[in-house]
Amino acid sequence: MMMLEYEGKRLLGSVGVPVPDGVVIERAPQSLQDARARISSYPAAVKVQVRSGGRGKQGGVRQVKSAEDLSATVKRLFDTEFSAEKPDALLVEPWLAIERETYLAVAVDGRADGYIVMYSPRGGVDIEEGAPPVRYPVGAPWNFRVHGFRQVLESVEQDYQWREKVVALAQRLVRAAAMHDCTTIEINPLARLADGALIAADAKVVRDEWAHFRNHEIRARREAEKQRADEFLRACLEMQHMYVRLDGNIGLISGGAGMTMAAMDMIAEYGGRPACFLDCSPGPTSTRGYRPAFAMLDADPQVKVILVSIFGGGTQMQRVANSMKEVMAERKNEKPVVFRLDGTNVDQVPGIFAQFGAHNHARLEDAVAEAVRLAGARA
Amino acid sequence: MSILLDRTNRVLVQGVTGQMGTFFVEDARKYGTAVVAGVSPGRDGTMVGDVPVFGSVRAAREATGADTAIVFVPPAAVLGGALEAIEAGCRLVVVTADELPVLDAIELKAAARANGTAWVGPNSPGIISPGKAKLGFMPSFCYLEGSVGVISRSGSLSYECCKRLTLAGMGQSTVIGIGGDAVKGTTAAEALELFHNDPETAAVLYLGEIGGTEELFVAEYAARPDAKPVAALIVGETAPSGKKMGHAAALIDSKADGHEAKVALLREAGVHVASGLSAVVNAMQEALSRRARAAHGAAAY
Repeated sequence: MMMLEYEGKRLLGSVGVPVPDGVVIERAPQSLQDARARISSYPAAVKVQVRSGGRGKQGGVRQVKSAEDLSATVKRLFDTEFSAEKPDALLVEPWLAIERETYLAVAVDGRADGYIVMYSPRGGVDIEEGAPPVRYPVGAPWNFRVHGFRQVLESVEQDYQWREKVVALAQRLVRAAAMHDCTTIEINPLARLADGALIAADAKVVRDEWAHFRNHEIRARREAEKQRADEFLRACLEMQHMYVRLDGNIGLISGGAGMTMAAMDMIAEYGGRPACFLDCSPGPTSTRGYRPAFAMLDADPQVKVILVSIFGGGTQMQRVANSMKEVMAERKNEKPVVFRLDGTNVDQVPGIFAQFGAHNHARLEDAVAEAVRLAGARA
Repeated sequence: MSILLDRTNRVLVQGVTGQMGTFFVEDARKYGTAVVAGVSPGRDGTMVGDVPVFGSVRAAREATGADTAIVFVPPAAVLGGALEAIEAGCRLVVVTADELPVLDAIELKAAARANGTAWVGPNSPGIISPGKAKLGFMPSFCYLEGSVGVISRSGSLSYECCKRLTLAGMGQSTVIGIGGDAVKGTTAAEALELFHNDPETAAVLYLGEIGGTEELFVAEYAARPDAKPVAALIVGETAPSGKKMGHAAALIDSKADGHEAKVALLREAGVHVASGLSAVVNAMQEALSRRARAAHGAAAY
């Protein structure tokens, strides 16, 4: 899960990475008043706190020269969308006299069987257009070696004093990533100030949501995300369902990430458009689990047809079929539902489906064709 | 032959007294898997069916000669359980659990490498060598003994595709679920190497998805002059970028992670890439017939 910039910087500050002395402003009017009282020097930078990238290019970072300027800018930024996301917080920092911008990141990479460190002598907003950063594969965090990374840097970074600062910082970042279950810590720009000091001018920190059981902050963040969702999605998230909204009209209830994507692709191949990626396999594959999935898609006016596509191994199909019977019996909505169940004990499905007049398609192709046809008729 | 798993593996089940463990014992034995021991700390001396339960992996190994472990414990306990199996000297350790923190996977990977253990998972349906043994919950009727080696990042997709192969008469040597996470036990590259050296495997079916870097290695293998023929299906053509599609590694971060780039890379390397699920059987047939032609060509010399 992606942290906001100020959350990431707080974490970096706590492990000894130099970060600007920032003040967070939230939407409540009192928050702006408090911030004005705390900010003593201008010019200052006002930065919107959103998760999407490209903030700088969209005008999400502003220089303000006075307290009045700050108030006006804060109001304007709270009313602006950045990649369809309205900020809930702004970060105000002293305007830095940056002499040089570099790039440093620690990230999980499957090719390294663990962490890699990346560095580029030219950082900033156009990082993706320059030469790719050099890579130092670390693997397990305890394998980081100062001399190993130094050797990698020698080819691209000629300033040995800066190089030594970067090496020492990287060592700290790898350790912090492991200790705080971060999958990415990206500092861009890693800035050099006029006095030669190093500072993390921006920070993108991504934390591993599956470490929630040993990390209070990650758990709290997961909980906050559930609370931000509407009641229907929240009920699905409570059941561990994985949901990504798409722009089509065929609501897909599926099991397994790969099979869900395969069904999405087949819907497109047959001329339809999926309304979502909704993988229900991590949660209870019972009435309790499927009920909120149907409730969410029934409440979504964009969804015209529901396609249930589940191929189960440990998930036994007679149980899924019985759950479908219960859900359909209590369901009030008229949207058509197309079924394709296959897998363990699928031979028991037709008997259960006959009890509530449903048909189970033997092949995914037939179920998808039917769903696309029905969606077309109801569009 | 097959890879990693055959009739000789003697299996112990960690977390055997839980719901999944108990179901696995019955289902796997029905398939012919030699399940010889269970491990459940504090429950040693009890039985699950006729399987004796031990308090530690070491005790189970000493008493039964078990050499293979399958781990059914909650995500927070996987690191401890799998490390125990690795360090007790099991030759194969299967972790099906999803939601394993990546740092724990990193630690397990290092331990497996240091101990020379084959580790499969996490977030995986397990592994099956049809007609011989299975370590996982895959529906047995989808499989047929044969010569196609299957590597999959996704469980249910592998069931679906193997059922299609089976109905078309194309059996499988081994089907390995490498899992959907970024850091994993056996990678696609390692599984390919194992299939390459398995005389019973004639061709490979790779089931991949958007995100991650596994497909780079599949292409690298397929481009080798001595490679066995490879067919593939890459799902996620309709997935938006920047969103995690269920699996931790199924996220399009850059153009290279996307469907189009992966398919192009694989095709260029000579992989028979199916245009969709419905075309998997055809792609596999093409790959196998290329092998037949190659064999014929070799015989003519």
